[in-house]
Amino acid sequence: MKACYRFLSALLLFLFPAVVLYAGEEDAPMRPVNSSWMLGVGSAHMVDTYLTPLEYDGWNMSLVYQRSQAMKFSPERWMQSLTVGLEVDRTENPARNASMYFAGLRGSWGMMWRHGLPFGLAAAVGPQVRGDIGVVYSNRNGNNPASVKADITIGVQGRLSRTFTLGRMPVTLGWQSELPVTGAFFSPEYDELYYEIYLGNHTGLAHAAWWGNFFRWDNLVTADFDFSATRLRLGFQSGVLSTKVNNITSRIYNFSFVIGVTTDWFSIRRGREVSPATGRVIYAF
Amino acid sequence: MHFSKPFGNLMVMKKIGLFVLYTAILVITGGCHEVRDYADDPRGTFEQLWTIMDEHYCFFREKGVDWEEVHSRYAPQIADRMTRQELFDVCARMLDELRDGHTNLSSSFRTSYYRKWWSDYPQNYSARLVEEYYFHFNYLSAGSLDYGVLEENVGYIRYASFASPLGEGNLDAALAYCATADGLIIDVRDNGGGSMTNVETFVSRFITSRTLAGTICHKTGPGHDDFSKPYPYYYYPAEEGRVMWGKPVVVLCNRSTFSAANNFVSVMKGLPNVRIVGATTGGGSGMPFSSELKNGWGVRFSASPVRDPEGNLTEFGVEPTEGYAVDLDPMAALSGRDSMLDLAVSCLTK
Repeated sequence: MKACYRFLSALLLFLFPAVVLYAGEEDAPMRPVNSSWMLGVGSAHMVDTYLTPLEYDGWNMSLVYQRSQAMKFSPERWMQSLTVGLEVDRTENPARNASMYFAGLRGSWGMMWRHGLPFGLAAAVGPQVRGDIGVVYSNRNGNNPASVKADITIGVQGRLSRTFTLGRMPVTLGWQSELPVTGAFFSPEYDELYYEIYLGNHTGLAHAAWWGNFFRWDNLVTADFDFSATRLRLGFQSGVLSTKVNNITSRIYNFSFVIGVTTDWFSIRRGREVSPATGRVIYAF
Repeated sequence: MHFSKPFGNLMVMKKIGLFVLYTAILVITGGCHEVRDYADDPRGTFEQLWTIMDEHYCFFREKGVDWEEVHSRYAPQIADRMTRQELFDVCARMLDELRDGHTNLSSSFRTSYYRKWWSDYPQNYSARLVEEYYFHFNYLSAGSLDYGVLEENVGYIRYASFASPLGEGNLDAALAYCATADGLIIDVRDNGGGSMTNVETFVSRFITSRTLAGTICHKTGPGHDDFSKPYPYYYYPAEEGRVMWGKPVVVLCNRSTFSAANNFVSVMKGLPNVRIVGATTGGGSGMPFSSELKNGWGVRFSASPVRDPEGNLTEFGVEPTEGYAVDLDPMAALSGRDSMLDLAVSCLTK
């Protein structure tokens, strides 16, 4: 386990060379975790020419958990963000006589470099690793009823935010964006049945991703209303996935309204003294 | 919010703005991959159907079908004011040009079938004939298998459809019951196919080592000759403890033995101690794909050719073992004899 942790640390250092010296333990600032749970409901639009040449429309639901925290090293400048999410879409064809479903899981982790901007804006940008796995299922197809979506990418993520007051209540407006740049993704060949893959033919399934054949862009605009220690989050999110490989074009778009809660909290190790004496608390946002 | 060193910098702001702008341009131009759209009218429906087949159907070459020429004959039959039924008829006739039992057009009011692959041939099977005159209705059933031992001490297993679940326990029961017989007849006449995994389950009782079952390939692009390299696939003996069969076997088939059943016959034909008796099977060696049209109709077509262990295409059927081709004699049937089953029995008892 320890070796695994060391390996992961080394890997992250390799991937993110901006990681520098750790601050000393004794004068370390408090770094509360900002966590958000978000439920999204909206519209979904899908086409996957492996299954159908038609665009299907319907509804989308998502549940996303996001956890952000200032990094241990250089906490004023660097923060990390972990996001995991579940998405479900149900759509119908233009004639409304067939349905197509999508269920997918995502997970991403990244670091962001923070910077103050004019007009009270705060910006953060940095690299990200992300993995997605899901399946599109058509209820009208026989031998080709489903198309698996799986990818692992590295890319950039950013956040722009500004806090102002609405009456006496602080409100933070934020825009988050994730844009994978490269990586690898899965696709069957043009008319290749999953049965053939099951038989053992695994050629041509993995593809290097670049914006010409794999384009994903997720955006989230939020307003956090500071009612109490737990803030209400309202927002709008969009997700775009467009791929073209093996002569198969696939697009999954969704646009949804988001409601959620966001809080800042400390995790305290049992038996360890909590000392806010330094007075330094560095929030993720 | 706390930054240790907040400062304003218009240059940074400008760079971020440019990044957002470039990204937006990328999304609008290159990020979204286009999909062809068709009008939801008779002409659009016809063109979409023709294009789907043109880009996905896998047997144009083998069947000598000039699809462009087919378009030139059928496109003039499309009129803007034709009814859905009239449009369906024209589209169905166009698909019939492919002479393919795996190709269907489906609407809420009709499904098209190309039937000549079996209707032009004698049926060669009567379930009642076997059940009444050979078993006196005293055959056994386990799952989707009917089985028994004939008077000549020959085992008989009837599997009516590869679409019916085939359990390992069902096969154990049937093969164990026939274990003392001198040979085994597997009757797949009128078996219209189903799941290829059931073929593997069945065949695994008759092999003792890893066995080449055939090759499979698929289209890799919209061109008529865009195919992957044939991929050999293998079957393995059933797991230890299962009932296996090593005595002589006859597979009894007719023209309505189609698709997965056709594949079963092609695999069994390559095994030692197995003879194919009856009539040439119906073919159907292209694994079908599904697609759909904008008006809501579905279309199914052959897209992924499967070949036998020797690399032969079995789309046009598998022939019986040399010297074992036989049809059902209608006069003999009137007196309660199945001439095809009789030949199968005789070649196991000689």
